[in-house]
Amino acid sequence: MSEQTIGLAAPAPAANKPKARREGGTLVPRLICGAVILGLWEIIVRALAPAYVAKPTTVAMAIPHVIVDPQFLAATGNTLIAVAEGLAITLVFGTVVGLLMGRSPTLERVIRHYVNGFYAMPMIVVLPLFSLWFGYSSAARLATVIFAAVFSIIVNVADGARAVPKEFLEVARSFRSTRMRILYEIVLPAATPYLLAGFRLAAGRALIGAVVAEFFLSVGGLGYFILFNSRTYHHNEAFVGVLLLAAFGVGCELLVVWATRRFLPWYRRDEK
Amino acid sequence: MNATLRRNLPFWLSIAAGLALWEIAGRSTSAAFMVPFSETMARLWQLIASGEFIPQFFDSAELFLTGFFLALIVGAPLGVLLARVRSIRVGIEPYIMTLYATPMVALIPFILSLMGFGFAPKVLVVFLFAVFPVLYNTVEGARSIKPELIEVAKSYRSTEWALWRDVMLPYTLPYTMTGVRQAIGRALVGMVAAEFFLSSTGLGQLISAASQNFDTGGVFASIFVIGVIGVALMRLGLKIEQHFARWRQ
Repeated sequence: MSEQTIGLAAPAPAANKPKARREGGTLVPRLICGAVILGLWEIIVRALAPAYVAKPTTVAMAIPHVIVDPQFLAATGNTLIAVAEGLAITLVFGTVVGLLMGRSPTLERVIRHYVNGFYAMPMIVVLPLFSLWFGYSSAARLATVIFAAVFSIIVNVADGARAVPKEFLEVARSFRSTRMRILYEIVLPAATPYLLAGFRLAAGRALIGAVVAEFFLSVGGLGYFILFNSRTYHHNEAFVGVLLLAAFGVGCELLVVWATRRFLPWYRRDEK
Repeated sequence: MNATLRRNLPFWLSIAAGLALWEIAGRSTSAAFMVPFSETMARLWQLIASGEFIPQFFDSAELFLTGFFLALIVGAPLGVLLARVRSIRVGIEPYIMTLYATPMVALIPFILSLMGFGFAPKVLVVFLFAVFPVLYNTVEGARSIKPELIEVAKSYRSTEWALWRDVMLPYTLPYTMTGVRQAIGRALVGMVAAEFFLSSTGLGQLISAASQNFDTGGVFASIFVIGVIGVALMRLGLKIEQHFARWRQ
């Protein structure tokens, strides 16, 4: 996972191409490809694997009764609330640290190597440690989510804060703005696109953190739901959980793309 | 000599300060909670000297390298192939993007119950973690090739081979390398996840065993080692990416 420093180097979907013209031509091949993938999956599983293995038709049949299953709903709520909580804490804390780090060379020099180091570390190795610290509890899951997500926000916001055009700061200074106001009213808005890019990475990592924590700690939630059902050979039910996770991952991705276009139309990173 | 020393001084100062902080924090809390740096190193040395560490390390390395190179061998050619065949690429792109954004850890329980505890399922986990960044970024690179370039090449009657060599590959390679960098990081996560949740081997086993025995020193020692490996691999990935990204500007 750990994408280093330049989270922005991860290609954002090319937003600036004349899409509308091409859109008409893409739907048909997409549907065909989807059908081919599902068909292959169905045929291979039917031919080779035992009956309990998930395949498109049986998963589709499982969806109606799983999504009204109170256990499933509770598990989903449990996980999503933990992820949302963790992301909220991460956003606030990561933005503050990132802004300070981007604008203060001293602080940057002191903590840079630690931030990059923790960022590069595969986040799930801290699970056994967190289980010692917080016990096998949802607190350990929250801590994992935060640890997984926070560094991508810090790194990206710091990059953004560093990239603020000098002229903006000079103008603000010559109007005798206070440091707080410069940070809050100039640096923060200028760093927002980076913040969003960081958030995109953070959301994915937070989700992985939550699921892995539930596997490892046996804390109730979507990850545990998947683990439990696949152990008891309810693969179809478990797979509905995977679909939901995938939907959440893609949803976050799309949300960030949409928010960038909607609220930051001035931001064009593809044009150089 | 003096200049390099001065340039690196803040780095070493900050490392020294961090280690001192770790040492103080470790000494002033209970040993079950945190172990100071000196004891962590002592424990690490113990693990190495007793012969527990080295075989586990090579076990993990084997898993990582096998899964990662499989991902590279499959991901990159497939990506470039998709680059050339536009109709399939357009069709398959959203699915690759979806899989790229799906937390692959969620598939581990299925892999466990289908394939059991051997080496192959673990390689599959590392592969699944690593392949989609490579594939996604390669396809993304292919998408960025300007159609004019291909048109010009074609109007000069360039052969298919020359087209690949001079246009397609140079254009997609930097993107593939971004994927490779991401894949290195993800493969490492996949490796640890596989070692935690499938058959317990390697560095993952070292950590979980230490945590189950409440051997906090062992936990810190193994996390420290994996952290150092992560940083080293990340640096390597960044170097590789920058080496190939020069012509992207």
